[in-house]
Amino acid sequence: MSEIAEQARVVAATNAAGAPPTAELHVDGLRVSVEGKPILDGVDLRVPVGQVHVLMGPNGSGKSTLAYSLMGHPKYQVTGGAASFDGQDLLALTPDRRAKLGLFLSFQNPIAIPGVTTVNFLRAALRAQGKELPAREFIARLGEEMTALRMDASFRSRYINDGFSGGEKKRAETLQLAMLEPRLAILDEPDSGLDVDALRIVADGVLRIMEKSEGRMGVLLITHYYRILENLTPDRVHIMHQGRIVDSGGPELAHLIEREGYDPYTTATSPPGTEVSRP
Amino acid sequence: MAEAATATGVVCRETLDARVAGSPAWLADRRTAAWDAFSAMPAPSSSRDEDWRRTDIAKLHLDRFAAAGTPARELVELAQSRHATALPGAALVLCGPDGGVTVENAESLLAQGVIVSSLEEAAERHPDLVQRGLSGIGIGESYFVAMWNALWRGGVFIHVPAGMQAVAPVWIAHLAAGDEQASFPATLVVLDDHASLTLVEDLVGPADPAPRLSVAVTAFQLGEDARLDDIPVQQLPPETWHFSTRRANCGTSAHYRLFGATLGARLQKAYWDVILEGRGSEADVFAVCFADAHQHIDHQSLQLHRGPDTRSNLLLKVAARDHAQSVYGGLIDVLPGAIHADGYVVNRNLLLSQGASASGVPRLEIKANDVRCGHGTTVGHVDDEERFYLMARGIPADDAERLVVRGYFADVLDRVPLETTREWLLALVDAEIGDGGGGGLDADEVAP
Ligand SMILES: Nc1ncnc2c1ncn2[C@@H]1O[C@H](COP(=O)(O)OP(=O)(O)OP(=O)(O)O)[C@@H](O)[C@H]1O
Ligand SMILES: [Mg+2]
Repeated sequence: MSEIAEQARVVAATNAAGAPPTAELHVDGLRVSVEGKPILDGVDLRVPVGQVHVLMGPNGSGKSTLAYSLMGHPKYQVTGGAASFDGQDLLALTPDRRAKLGLFLSFQNPIAIPGVTTVNFLRAALRAQGKELPAREFIARLGEEMTALRMDASFRSRYINDGFSGGEKKRAETLQLAMLEPRLAILDEPDSGLDVDALRIVADGVLRIMEKSEGRMGVLLITHYYRILENLTPDRVHIMHQGRIVDSGGPELAHLIEREGYDPYTTATSPPGTEVSRP
Repeated sequence: MAEAATATGVVCRETLDARVAGSPAWLADRRTAAWDAFSAMPAPSSSRDEDWRRTDIAKLHLDRFAAAGTPARELVELAQSRHATALPGAALVLCGPDGGVTVENAESLLAQGVIVSSLEEAAERHPDLVQRGLSGIGIGESYFVAMWNALWRGGVFIHVPAGMQAVAPVWIAHLAAGDEQASFPATLVVLDDHASLTLVEDLVGPADPAPRLSVAVTAFQLGEDARLDDIPVQQLPPETWHFSTRRANCGTSAHYRLFGATLGARLQKAYWDVILEGRGSEADVFAVCFADAHQHIDHQSLQLHRGPDTRSNLLLKVAARDHAQSVYGGLIDVLPGAIHADGYVVNRNLLLSQGASASGVPRLEIKANDVRCGHGTTVGHVDDEERFYLMARGIPADDAERLVVRGYFADVLDRVPLETTREWLLALVDAEIGDGGGGGLDADEVAP
């Protein structure tokens, strides 16, 4: 674990008033608007470090909006509620501070940054997070992770996401996850647009990172597909509809969605499950 | 060496007389004619002159600038260390603002029959060649060129004989003048048929904020099938008034390439002209410019297609921060004889602050048939999504912005043909932007 994360943990532990024993993502009644239009309508969620939580829901239900809001995208205005990680108020922090606290977002559609090579970008990110490695060690680690993700070495000196195929982008996001070793990884559809082999590579990658973290990383995995859950067994599954978590349960909930879709949630006037999400 | 300072500054009749006295007859005549033209000309005016419309020099008082003295030792060492870092294998020509010129590390070139010397000396010893070098520069073509023609001193002359590939690049350092002094940098290069050369021209000065004047001309003559790679770096002190003309005349099938970085000066007016005379001649101009504080940086380019089958391509990428202003005007002029001409000009601007501004006006004038020409200009800001992406990885906003700027310049700087010079330029640009944490590993370190 990095020094910064260690410090944050100490701060959280000494900050005893109501602070949880393990680091946890708390989202309470979060309301978010985009360009004046309300999208999230009171989201409640708990994701403790060491667990995998899955977030499912129909297109446009607000999953990415939640992911962006937790990471601090300036376009998403929080109009109510609270979000904290490890006892620290996320909403008061700029995105870079949230990353330093241990948050990571794997983007559904990562943007290309022409002229900035993947290697220099990763190096800058590690340095910024106080996790800088000596050049030789860094290159060695990068090499290992890229091999594990079956990424060609040429990607190191290619510009981030510039001209990457959809699948290559997902791998590159997973590579960043591996290198940055966050405490809470929000993975927004890391499995969409992947062929079967790539899906297995990315899923194995996430699992490997998870195992390597020895319980120090939590995952909030946004997905539409059951398949990735064959590799990554979730502790909890949450269903989002119209900007709210409308149901939570164990892995069987994902099975149910796979078989029956979201009809029970979208057609009923009141959702079938009214359980408030608790890990 | 030092000239008597006069109440009216160095731009005066007495200076001309001293220059004329030290010149061979042909050059003395040229200087006198230039002075007469200069004296008869009004200074450029933003209300009268179209290409000065956005660059106002009403506050320039020439009489404020005295003759330059010998350069400080620290400045000489700075210039030497830049050469040593960026291209130690190159011959080094150090040009003081006082006209003092030294040539080092040029043995291999001289052994090839290449001339590398002070321009003053060459004017005595090789008048025909120097006159050829000057033939593309009109005596009274403009206010500042006329001033330069009358008053330049020292300078560099390079001649590469026919068929000769210069075995080493030449690094020219023009040292800035001292406080409230003027310099007149001069570089003349003549490449005979099938000759080739790589050149770095480093306009360098200390970071101190005293006002200075710099009036420069750099002229290239490329013979048939000649090749020139030209790397001009302008990093003059922050309160310098800098006026320059850089012109390449290209013979049949000649290829001129410019890779430039404009970083310094308070106000710059630079003309970059490529004159494609010979059939099939080509020019590629790639440059970056970073301006901040109150810099006002003006580039004017001309791609003049005279010969048939000529090709030119220009890309100028500017980033402006704080209250900096960038002005760009570019003309592709295709004359009636230039059939099948192919010309392209693009100016991109990235504004990093509310107070920064940029204007780019590329134009086409086409008087020949069957040509292919295009132009474009863009003004943009750092994309919110790009900034957010970088910040989401822990990189603070300022550093994220610097990384984006560095990336924005990369497609120009990546083209610089000499690796050590490219690395040096990247570092120079990084330092201007402020270290964004982007520096680090180059391709070699990364190679498995
Ligand atoms: N930047 C934005 N500008 C305008 N509207 C937005 C923006 N981001 C999200 N929205 C709107 O918010 C709603 C939720 O979008 P969001 O991307 O969060 O859905 P999602 O659950 O991630 O969907 P999908 O499964 O298709 O990825 C949609 O109606 C979308 O159009
Ligand atoms: Mg989404």
